[in-house]
Amino acid sequence: MSTESGASGVKRRDFLKILGVTTAATAATGCSTDHVRKLIPYVSNPDNTVPGVSNYFASTCRECATSCGILVETRDGRAIKVEGNPNTELNRGALCAKGQSSLQGLYNPDRFRQPMARKNGQLSPVTWDEALQLLATRLGEVRSKGQAGSAVFINQHEAGSFPAFLDNWLNEYGMPQHISYDADAPASAIAANQAGYGVAWPALDFDAASLIVSFGADFLDGWGPSVPLQLAWADARAKIDGAPRAIYIGARRSLTGLNADSWIACRPGSELAIIQFLRGSKPVADAAAASDVSVATLEGLKKEITEAKRSLLLAGGNAADSTQVAIEVSEFNKFLGNVGITIKPAAPLGVYQRLDVTAAVYNVSERMNAGAVPLLFVRGANPVHTLPKSVKFAEGMAKVGFKVSFTNVPDETTELADLVLPDHHGLESWGDAEPTAGTLHLQQPSMEPVFQSRATADVLIDVAKKDAALAATYAMKDYRSWLIARFPGGQSAHTVALAKGVASASSLRASERTAGELTRTPVAGFAGAGDFHLVINPSPTLGTGSGANKPWLMELPDPVSKIAWQSWVEMHPMALKQLGLVRGDLVTIETAAGKATLPVYNYLGIRPDTIAVSLGYGHKSQAGRRFDPDGDRRTPFYSGYGRYAEGVGMNAVDLVSGNTDALSGSIAYSSMKAKVTKTGENTDLITTEGSARQHSRGIGQASTLAALVAARSQTEGAHGGEHAAPAAEHGAKPAEGEHELGPKEWGGNEHAFVGGAPTEFLPGLKSPVANDAQGDLGTQDSKAKGMYSEQHWSGMAKRRWAMTVDLSRCTGCSACVTACYSENNIPTVGASWQGRALSPTVWDTRPGANILKGREMAWIRLERYFEGAADADNTFDPGFDTRFVPMMCQHCGNAPCEPVCPVYATYHSPDGLNVQVYNRCVGTRYCSNNCPYKVRYYNWFGYGEPGRRQYAFPEPMQMQLNPDVTVRGKGVMEKCTFCVQRIREAETRADLEHRPLQADEFTTACAQACPSKAITFGDAADPTWTVAKQVEDERAYHVFEVLNTYTAVVYLKKINHTVEA
Amino acid sequence: MATTAKPVVGKTKRPNIPAAGIQVPAVRTFEQVDDEILATLKPSPKWFIGLGIAIAAMLTGAAAWTYQIYWGLGNAGYVPPVMWGVYIITFVFWVGIGHAGTLISAILYLFRAGFRTTIYRASEAMTVFAVMTAGLFPIIHIGRPWKFFWLIPYPNWRLLYPQFKSPLLWDVFAISTYLTISTTFLYLGLIPDFAVMRDRETNPIRRRIFAMLSLGWKNTDREWRHFAKMYMFLAAFSTPLVLSVHSVVSFDFAMALTPGWHTTIFPPYFVGGAIFSGFAMVWTILIPIRKWWNLEHYVTLNHLDATAKVVLFTSIMVGSGYLSEFFIAWFSGVAPEQEYFWNRVFGQWWWAGWLLLLCNMIFPLSLFSQKLRRNPAWLWILSIIINIGMWYERFVIVVPSLSHEFEPWQWTHYAPSWIDMCFLVGSFGWFFMWFLLFIKQMPVIAIAEVKEIVPPRMKNDHGGHH
Repeated sequence: MSTESGASGVKRRDFLKILGVTTAATAATGCSTDHVRKLIPYVSNPDNTVPGVSNYFASTCRECATSCGILVETRDGRAIKVEGNPNTELNRGALCAKGQSSLQGLYNPDRFRQPMARKNGQLSPVTWDEALQLLATRLGEVRSKGQAGSAVFINQHEAGSFPAFLDNWLNEYGMPQHISYDADAPASAIAANQAGYGVAWPALDFDAASLIVSFGADFLDGWGPSVPLQLAWADARAKIDGAPRAIYIGARRSLTGLNADSWIACRPGSELAIIQFLRGSKPVADAAAASDVSVATLEGLKKEITEAKRSLLLAGGNAADSTQVAIEVSEFNKFLGNVGITIKPAAPLGVYQRLDVTAAVYNVSERMNAGAVPLLFVRGANPVHTLPKSVKFAEGMAKVGFKVSFTNVPDETTELADLVLPDHHGLESWGDAEPTAGTLHLQQPSMEPVFQSRATADVLIDVAKKDAALAATYAMKDYRSWLIARFPGGQSAHTVALAKGVASASSLRASERTAGELTRTPVAGFAGAGDFHLVINPSPTLGTGSGANKPWLMELPDPVSKIAWQSWVEMHPMALKQLGLVRGDLVTIETAAGKATLPVYNYLGIRPDTIAVSLGYGHKSQAGRRFDPDGDRRTPFYSGYGRYAEGVGMNAVDLVSGNTDALSGSIAYSSMKAKVTKTGENTDLITTEGSARQHSRGIGQASTLAALVAARSQTEGAHGGEHAAPAAEHGAKPAEGEHELGPKEWGGNEHAFVGGAPTEFLPGLKSPVANDAQGDLGTQDSKAKGMYSEQHWSGMAKRRWAMTVDLSRCTGCSACVTACYSENNIPTVGASWQGRALSPTVWDTRPGANILKGREMAWIRLERYFEGAADADNTFDPGFDTRFVPMMCQHCGNAPCEPVCPVYATYHSPDGLNVQVYNRCVGTRYCSNNCPYKVRYYNWFGYGEPGRRQYAFPEPMQMQLNPDVTVRGKGVMEKCTFCVQRIREAETRADLEHRPLQADEFTTACAQACPSKAITFGDAADPTWTVAKQVEDERAYHVFEVLNTYTAVVYLKKINHTVEA
Repeated sequence: MATTAKPVVGKTKRPNIPAAGIQVPAVRTFEQVDDEILATLKPSPKWFIGLGIAIAAMLTGAAAWTYQIYWGLGNAGYVPPVMWGVYIITFVFWVGIGHAGTLISAILYLFRAGFRTTIYRASEAMTVFAVMTAGLFPIIHIGRPWKFFWLIPYPNWRLLYPQFKSPLLWDVFAISTYLTISTTFLYLGLIPDFAVMRDRETNPIRRRIFAMLSLGWKNTDREWRHFAKMYMFLAAFSTPLVLSVHSVVSFDFAMALTPGWHTTIFPPYFVGGAIFSGFAMVWTILIPIRKWWNLEHYVTLNHLDATAKVVLFTSIMVGSGYLSEFFIAWFSGVAPEQEYFWNRVFGQWWWAGWLLLLCNMIFPLSLFSQKLRRNPAWLWILSIIINIGMWYERFVIVVPSLSHEFEPWQWTHYAPSWIDMCFLVGSFGWFFMWFLLFIKQMPVIAIAEVKEIVPPRMKNDHGGHH
């Protein structure tokens, strides 16, 4: 072959070199879109990049220690969506809201764009060379003074090889092992597990249990490895027959408590008395007196536990004696013979291996305050925010000679650092995790780094290389090559494994730290004075605050209170009445440690003598800098915890004294007494909740197992005709005290609805084919005659896209909501600059101002209805039931929204979708008025228009946008599309591959993400799809069936496992 | 309509108008009619001040619209699912106002109701301007007003047509038809008056314009014959429109399945309400005009008395509409419907519910008193009360229904914002700007028709219906 080049004078190799260099240069200068003027198509594509086609990278989620496997969808080199990796045993394709929001950490507008060093008291940008030189110099100084042994490295706890790698590095420098800190870890349970079962986290088999008793173990609120726990819970509950009954014991009904069948509302701190009674070491009267729970209830509980075939007792909590409770519970589990059956220490989860107790950080703070720490490293952890004020961490940092932060977003701790060496985001990094022994989750970058960050492991290697003595030890090119080198089978095996994201291998294990150096401050009882017990719970979505800089998580209403962008205090309506308060009144909460003014939220699920405040909020800049909502939103806000967290709520940890749970060395959050005083002021709760009661309208329906069984026999007996019995005769009796509206109360009569539509279609879809009832409304022939003939030219009329939502599975966690935001480019509207104008020049800059006006855009929302406890103002009734109902566009066959649109912007597609054409919409909003489900959302501002004040995607967040979905401009209506882009993509793919679409080949974003697998999507006209079977389920019902909307979303009733009388 | 009966002279308290046939006893000659009515065309300082205020108010609305088009509808008070608010309320309000004019000019003409003669021109002009005002609001209210023409069926290469099932599209037709007819009708009645103005005008340019507008009217018998036929024809043509337009507007609500909207009573009840509010607006306008421009002997207490009886009648009609809504809600047994109506008077929206019952049902009962019917000051105050009440009627229909629908999770509240108020003020500015301009260009009382009812100079040489 000749090396002569063509007429252009550029050789092919040269061209590739130039391409490589220019790509690198582009990456180095960041991905600003400021000056993009022309679009030039690729002449030769970079690896695997086909414009318009997604690449998927298997990786590992780094948002919590659980380390779920993820698939990162990338388009043209940019990550656009994070989904669970279906190849993993751990999370089986599911992913929580937090994990999905990792994209907003990647593209956070306030991420450090380059290293920063403190100059004249200010953090200012420096180059990596300067930064590394500075680090090496300071390290050298500390070492030469012989102070290396006093240096401290606090790392956000993670599972995998990095902790061990880090310890080795620290060891080389003569520094002590790092402190692996996780403010969100379920410390009491871990300590008790270690004491009781000998492992940090045994596998929990909900499926094997017939009774689950939780002593404040909030396994659906992010306690422990949340996605695996939720999957296990949902699978067990979905059995219906033989599903475990769940009892929750605690002063506040958390999300887990709301999902349990019964709630034993014990006085805070009395869990110990109850478990001691159960174990027989305390008389029932004493336990009843301590816990304020009736003797009968306690005896009943004991009876249930002892009679249960297999039970699973869990204990969590974050009070001063929680570990003691948990240890007693583990002893009781052993006594009951649950260990090895429902609790499997033999198959432990490795996610909390090498986790240090919080008291270790207390210790660091004491040493810092004594001036004994010359050098402090922090990576990911944010002790200034997460520790009580009395620990004086921030004050201590001021006395440290040199503070280095590897965190890649500003936070309260990093703000005080002298040098910031921003780490890659988890989606840009190499790594691994070993969540269960022998199973390695691999982590790989899904895209070029967004900014000039550098992996901390690589920084460690680079720094070591500068030291002559260490250069030989750190001869490896980078962390990636080190990881590959120790992977069994080397490079080639690693490459193969990367495609799956999972491998049978082990990470490098760090040795456990010695426990001796922990400070332990045992505290018993409740600290301080006051009429109320204070319960402080980590937020199910924000934990102790690590997600607060992500608008998806801030906009996601708290699953229990449904409040977003705000802190609140939960009080029982009885307590409110006694204090003369109403919902939204501002009260001052005073504890021995601090004071806060918060709006009250009237919550049924809390004891009248208890108040609860959620962690996760109240980030603020130490320097007191404020983000200017009217100012330049393109400049990163390197203060506090970034622009989204600023000014949102208060930090509940400020109400906590520094006391710890003696046995676990963790903060005793919920062991405080509080005084509540009225301020006389009222504020609006930023909530998405309209009415917490469904007014018997049958939106979230429930039944009992007994009723279901009775109905089965009845159906079999009466199954003469072709139709199943109508709902009323279905025996699916409403839960006690609940009355659902019958057809009569909806305006029809028992047998025929208005328009003559027979009820006998039930259960299942009203019309199993796409030809819904629009043609011949309400006649039995509607199956045959519809809007579109089955021979419609498009060939689409043979399908009917449909969805089922199993309310027995749904826990209300709201991961589906975030998945929908991510997939469908839904704008968040709660940021401080997105509010409306209060006058032509003054804008409402309260965070969440738009949500006060109901302008949230969640295409799928999680409704949370209460049943029972009707007279909550006067009596405390813990026996209420909760219904979580994911509500999205129901894709009605006979849609009220369609005929009222004057411009055909919404119409019915031949495959049964309610299509919304954004380009055609003029914004009359009539469709929304006519929608009984209220699932249409309107662009009140230009949330999707760059340059607008209310633009929801400040740079570089716009990189996350899904190119398959239009970004909506102002003035148009939008709604759930059943992920039509996914439908069309799958159809096109099948077409290109010359094959029919396979059953369950793809699914919608919400169904994909759901950590309870509650949502099933598919073609109901094709019996091979799962959804086609599910719509025929005995528990199936349609919401507002009597309106004859012929919905394509079928709900499956929740089953409450009540005690047999 | 003229009659040869002798004028009733003196201060008869309660003349029987149809029997007497004499409505304007103080008007004696045609010259007096020409002089006095044309005198109203002379601009006065008061008029300039009024026009200035109206234009300023209109500009407030225009500025608000510019602002809103730039930013989006988010600055308005909408709280989803209350997706319709002040704009639609004001739209229905103005359409309702627009009803009295055609009712007076067409239906009362066909019914030979004598009291219409002196008030019909002003109310007809009011109709045209009210419909012009109303017509703006659907455009103001939509999210992308620059795409408004998509609601109009026009041929296009994309073969996209509007959805003929949508009541909003029916609105487009109803409003545009109504505007066309009422404008034509107003103009037709003005033709002989333009001729009078032409004859009295000295400015050659204005004279020429009036000549053109009067279409060369020569006051011949033939012209009068054609004129009367055409007038009769258009009156007959617009009569069903009076009933249909507001029925169609009510379909915007009645065709939806929202509780509180989905009811068959809406068309008659909307029409009744429209006439009710329209007559109130006629008072709001005419009572000051008759006072300030010395037209009290044209628009006499007798006329006001007659209109007051119409108002009383329609008030009772509307009131029974309200009551039957409550009855039907209870009678239907439909729980969401019942909860909505409970919420309307005893719940979240009690203040608006009672405000409308008070303004539209209770206060108008005062018109049973003849003394009050003949008290212009009270009628004017009452007209304001009714205007407020009728605005709130639409508020109660639009907002509480949407805020309290089937889905309790989405129950919400609503409060208008500053920009909503700017539009409301702007709509009044826009309306009064046109009206004030009108009364200085064209006679606010129909000269030709008044001449028909004053004693003729010569015996029966014109008019009459033989």
